[in-house]
Amino acid sequence: MVRDVPAQKSKSPPKPNQAIAAKIFHWINLISLILMIGSGLQIYNANPVFGGRGGWHFPSIFLLGGWLAGGRHWHFAAMWLFALNLLGYGIYIFISRRWKHRFVSSNDLKALQKSQNVKRKTYAWHRLAFTAIIPVLLLAILTGLGMYKPAQLHWIVDLFGSWQALRVVHFISVPVFITFAVIHSLLGLKVGGSRLIKSIFF
Amino acid sequence: MRQIQVPKPYLPRRRFLQLSGISSLGLILGGCGVSLFDDVVQKATEPLNESVETLLFNPQKPVPEFPASAIEPDALLVNTFDFTPDLDPAKFRLTVDGEVNRPMSLSLAEVERMPLTSMTIRHVCVEGWAAIVQWGGVRLRDIVALAQPKVNVRYVYFKSADGYYESWDLASALHPQTLLAYQKNGQPLPIENGAPLRLASPIKLGYKQSKWITQITLLSQKPPSLGYWEDRGYEWFAGL
Repeated sequence: MVRDVPAQKSKSPPKPNQAIAAKIFHWINLISLILMIGSGLQIYNANPVFGGRGGWHFPSIFLLGGWLAGGRHWHFAAMWLFALNLLGYGIYIFISRRWKHRFVSSNDLKALQKSQNVKRKTYAWHRLAFTAIIPVLLLAILTGLGMYKPAQLHWIVDLFGSWQALRVVHFISVPVFITFAVIHSLLGLKVGGSRLIKSIFF
Repeated sequence: MRQIQVPKPYLPRRRFLQLSGISSLGLILGGCGVSLFDDVVQKATEPLNESVETLLFNPQKPVPEFPASAIEPDALLVNTFDFTPDLDPAKFRLTVDGEVNRPMSLSLAEVERMPLTSMTIRHVCVEGWAAIVQWGGVRLRDIVALAQPKVNVRYVYFKSADGYYESWDLASALHPQTLLAYQKNGQPLPIENGAPLRLASPIKLGYKQSKWITQITLLSQKPPSLGYWEDRGYEWFAGL
């Protein structure tokens, strides 16, 4: 006979708990990306990717650095924080073997196609979004390196065909990341409620 | 008759604290638009970035060049910090001095008699735009060699006719694609692009590539004034 008394006693599901390393990576990633975007838009404004000097400029509320040189100093300071944090995260998920079950799997893709379970589907979408942002962040670093050192790392510029293409891809990582942050937060909220959201921050 | 009720201005403590929190956030973010310690950030990270840039830089390796068909004649914008000096090519002298065994004063004809190097490279501006340009001129390393620099020389200082000034690390100045250019896109160098002589190189940002150069000084120490834009906060190495 199966006794279900313990299940009745604890009404709320177990509190979601994140590894301290995951919290640190998440915090540094968020903060460094805010710095990268603010200083990046400051640099953008010196010569907008779309339209050049006559193009649309971002309002100063979104900018970090005050002027082009200040924006560059912030950008090339925060790049270390951002890139080394991402590298640290990569090493962490590899060594701790989390890479095997943290990212989207064929089970998730099957669930997205066939499952009738709405919760399972939301969970699969969340894992898909979470996985998709990794190559976007890596692409931002690659295109950034290409613009930072176009002579020494000329193969990166060649890979993207032209200077303008390189600039566009680098810039596109901003709207893609912001869209991801919104979807990631909403799906997280849907999957685990505010308890899950809180668990990754505190 | 109905009484008109005027609601009292109502601001409970909690709401007041919320509002003050939000408005002080505005102060911080507004500060972002100004500069937010860009000088502190520069002091903290420029030495690290510079050593990584120096490490990445290969002083002997030429940067791959482009075919003539790739030249973008309209993409090269003209940036000048002050005015455009109109120098008389007949009277022009290029001074090479500093810690050298043979200080020189060269005429334009003497410079143009030296071996001509042509390169089609990407000119990259700090503002974010780039242009593929053909430059023709004399290798800076040939001029430096003529002046016979002393063994302790580490830096090169450039003075321009418009008051602009720049300094480079010696290794970048001696790179085979660092030219004193007097041709652009197959034509004599236009005045607004720096005639009679300007720096052109694929390995440094545009603001390092002084126009209207009149004096080259070889130094063992970094000069007290690093460069016009560097003295206003721009990065000194600015390598590509």
